[in-house]
Amino acid sequence: MPDVEIPIEKWTGKVKEVKLGGGGRKEVVVGGEVTLPFLAFEGSNPNPPRIAIEIHDKEPIAWPASLLAAWGDAVKDPGTWAKKAVEFGAEIICLKLLSAHPEGGNTGAAEAKAVVDKVLSAVDLPLIVLGPGVAEKDNDILPAASDAAKGQRIALGNCEEKNYRTIGAVCLSDGHIAIAKTPLDINLCKQLNIMLSDLGVPADSILMDPDTGALGYGIEYGYSINERLRLAALGGDAMTSFPIINHAGGEVWRQKEAKASEGVPDAWGNPEERGVLFEEITTSTVINAGCDIVVMCHPKAIERVKATIDKLAGK
Amino acid sequence: MSKFIATSAIRGAQGIVAEADELLQDALQKLGPDTPIAFKDKAGAGTTFYLPVIYGLMGNKVEKLGDLVPVMEHARSLLQPLPREDLWLPYLGETLDAGAATLFAFETIEGIRFTKGEQPEKRKDGFEFNGPISDVQARSWGIQLVDGRMPGFAAIVGAAKSNEVAVKIVRELQSKGQLTFLCADNNGRSMVDQLLEENVDMGYDTYIVPFGSDTTSAIYALGFATVAALSFGGVAPGDFRRILLYNKFRCFAFVLALGPVDDIKYAAAAGAINYGFPVIADTVIPNILPTGITRYEHVVSMPFDDIPGKDDLERAERLVQRCVEVRGIKIKVAKVPIPVAYGPAFEGEVVRRADLAIEFGGKGGMCFEWLRMKDLDDVEDGKIEIVGPDMDTFEEGSKVPMAIVVDVAGRKMQKDFEPVLERQIHHMLNGAEGFSHQGQRDITWIRVHKNAVAKGLTLRHIGDILHTCLHNDFGAIVDKVQITLYSDPGKVAELIDQARAVYKERNARMAGLTDEAVDTYYSCTLCQSFAPNHVCVINPERVGLCGAYGWLDCRASFEINPNGPNQPVLKGRVIDEVLGEWEGVNQFVLEHSNKVIERFTVYSLMDAPMTTCGCCECVMAIIPEANGVMIVSRDDYGMTPSGMTFTTLMATVGGGLQTPGMMGHGKIYIPSKKFIPVEGGIKRLVWMSQNLKEEMAEELKEACEREGVPDLLDQIADGSAVTTVEELLPFLEEKGHPALTMDPII
Ligand code: SF4
Repeated sequence: MPDVEIPIEKWTGKVKEVKLGGGGRKEVVVGGEVTLPFLAFEGSNPNPPRIAIEIHDKEPIAWPASLLAAWGDAVKDPGTWAKKAVEFGAEIICLKLLSAHPEGGNTGAAEAKAVVDKVLSAVDLPLIVLGPGVAEKDNDILPAASDAAKGQRIALGNCEEKNYRTIGAVCLSDGHIAIAKTPLDINLCKQLNIMLSDLGVPADSILMDPDTGALGYGIEYGYSINERLRLAALGGDAMTSFPIINHAGGEVWRQKEAKASEGVPDAWGNPEERGVLFEEITTSTVINAGCDIVVMCHPKAIERVKATIDKLAGK
Repeated sequence: MSKFIATSAIRGAQGIVAEADELLQDALQKLGPDTPIAFKDKAGAGTTFYLPVIYGLMGNKVEKLGDLVPVMEHARSLLQPLPREDLWLPYLGETLDAGAATLFAFETIEGIRFTKGEQPEKRKDGFEFNGPISDVQARSWGIQLVDGRMPGFAAIVGAAKSNEVAVKIVRELQSKGQLTFLCADNNGRSMVDQLLEENVDMGYDTYIVPFGSDTTSAIYALGFATVAALSFGGVAPGDFRRILLYNKFRCFAFVLALGPVDDIKYAAAAGAINYGFPVIADTVIPNILPTGITRYEHVVSMPFDDIPGKDDLERAERLVQRCVEVRGIKIKVAKVPIPVAYGPAFEGEVVRRADLAIEFGGKGGMCFEWLRMKDLDDVEDGKIEIVGPDMDTFEEGSKVPMAIVVDVAGRKMQKDFEPVLERQIHHMLNGAEGFSHQGQRDITWIRVHKNAVAKGLTLRHIGDILHTCLHNDFGAIVDKVQITLYSDPGKVAELIDQARAVYKERNARMAGLTDEAVDTYYSCTLCQSFAPNHVCVINPERVGLCGAYGWLDCRASFEINPNGPNQPVLKGRVIDEVLGEWEGVNQFVLEHSNKVIERFTVYSLMDAPMTTCGCCECVMAIIPEANGVMIVSRDDYGMTPSGMTFTTLMATVGGGLQTPGMMGHGKIYIPSKKFIPVEGGIKRLVWMSQNLKEEMAEELKEACEREGVPDLLDQIADGSAVTTVEELLPFLEEKGHPALTMDPII
């Protein structure tokens, strides 16, 4: 074998480290990268990508049978679901407050608080709490959710252009982490980070969600936006240097290819295996683009992605 | 700073600090230093912020009487002697320190009253004041303060001229989403009495909170402001500077002093000014106008009876309006108040002849729009005036002359933004259902659908749309908007001459706005979502390549959103004047193109031209055989002499690439004086899309004349006769096109 000199990239920037949990809860630190993912020869990234498992405050209506079967009755109760997620290897729990959606139950602040309380007492992992994504409802219920978890450093989202002030402010007040969500656009992402920083949210309390599409649904955009954010951060741009969270799992299980079990060509194969592969590949892809937290759904896909992370990390 | 105010405030502070001191000594003796102190509202809900102003500004946790001793020491240390008769100084520092001392004294006094069970205050008639705001309430309001749902609060001291005025003031404040805090009376009468007599509900629910009857209770307002900064500003207790700044920039509060102002009130006012909260008085007191600590004026006197208005109610409305202005509060109206639907969905609507209720302008008609900047005092926000007959009186299908005159004022408004805002009228009015707007300036053409008139649309609603949209979209530069709609033919004819003179002036200004005349260009990175490495650099003589953003638009956009996609690009040291290459521009483009584009010239097509994204209006490409360039526009689907259609060309240059010899650009770049000057300008143009040639005939003709080639337009081939290079060359030779004899382009 001829000697090949491996070119080493010199980066000037570093991704900020963000700590979730604490206050009696397990702690997980993400971020801190000094080079692109899994390039151990170039620099040592202190924290591996982490897997968060998505749970909902009510039984999912749009999930396919193959995914529901993997969870069984646990999906009927967020506390039980969270416990089961721990068994399946969750490092973080991502709780979506979907029942607050005006068309999905329209529940209010009190219900949001009760669910957060329940999940907090069921498990000791760090928590991510997401509102229904309707600005007015988010503004209404997230302050209550935040209050319930005061001092336990959860990540709260999503901050979008319309509601970042409210969520940013409660994060500041209760010591939580703000998740800044933008639609696949590096400049909008950066702009929102700047606005959150202007609001006073400290640099160690911001996560970015630049969005992605599933494999076949624009994953190249997702890959590219994640990679560009990371390259910019490593290049020294402070306003893109926050850890990245990605909802690869949720994106996959929305799509027809993950759901359809009848009336599709035989070549599509077994529906469960198909969905699991779909999630596995989508998630591994965004991890390779630099994501720090991936939010996943199917236990089998989770197991495989974990193994991939370990392998890439040389474990 | 007015010496009178300085003297009064310092005197007031000395008095109140002495009083607090005395009370404290007495309480220490009678109750002992370990007596606990805790603020609570009348319902018993408390706070974890101790005595919040003291905790916030000094960092001291006051939990018992003894903890107040160092606070009073500090307050005393802030007091300066009264200004001497013979000495005139700015006094600002001394006065503000006296203000801070006053706040510490106020909070100390209220704290001591709590230990004695005298707070929250109960009146003999049974009325209970609220006392300080609880944490739970402060959280709920604090969030709204931060996210802008609630602009701020009005701390009202004293009593209004009459009950009627009191109610009007409070209602006006409520309509603007302001919280109202009531503190202090004048000789035993206060706004609380007035509102009680008029049966106005007070309490957290109605956003009207009565604090107490003494001026000292005003401290609860500042306590609330402090808690907001501590909770939502991420500010550490004791970091007084950031607490004050936080409130200056985020909490739109002010003090409204009704009735006579005594020394203690001056001292309290000085305390409020520390927070950036201005004081507006309805009596004669000296103004403090220079801006600095507060956003705008510090102290404004508006003697109630001198306020213009037909009655006291109108005067009250103006008083509140003035408060809002002084504090720089922007009011957002969520919904355009018109009887038809409004939204982007209606922008492309066509009003057909059969559906036409009325039209303004268009062929043979006269309609123009004119937006002009005025002084703040000369514009009455929200005023909409109709001069002439209204919509419902016009004959169906008739054509009526019309003038839309918009007067705007704003502290950040600039004369140069007039045309930028004026051009938005098109977009704003088109959002109304059943309303179609075309053109601009004096070629405006408006058509209104019968259904819209049937639903009750009148001329006034044009004003409503413009007022709402200008505030919502351009609130950063526009503070006040007033609209006048003229449908009286005589008036329109009279005004159109004035407006035309202004258009002319603007044109002259635009013509004078050359690349050389400015030291800053602007960037646009809006297209980076599709073309990650693309940066438009926009100079006065070249628009962004989509044609939508000119230099002035970018400047206004930067003013409106300093973190947005349009950033100033300082030209910096010139590298090559002819090529249009500057260090500053190169550096900016490098930094914003993911370090991909290292060099960038403004004047050349062949040497490091601007990158091209996906949304250019036209693409230009060299035709080496003809020693010239061709331009194809987006709306031309035909073949071009380059052997490629627009779409194929785009696929070659788009996506943020820098391709010497090819470049995307806006239509109005073609007649610009800075049209590829390095390559010889418009004389190089050998072929262009037919539609472009027709659409821009006038401007192009002018440009050709300016360049000394008046016949050029006829010598330029277009898609009607020529679509291949083989056809092009004989055409050019026959016409004697100048490009054939110019220096080789490559
Ligand atoms: S093409 Fe237009 S929108 Fe796109 S970057 Fe250039 S100026 Fe901005």
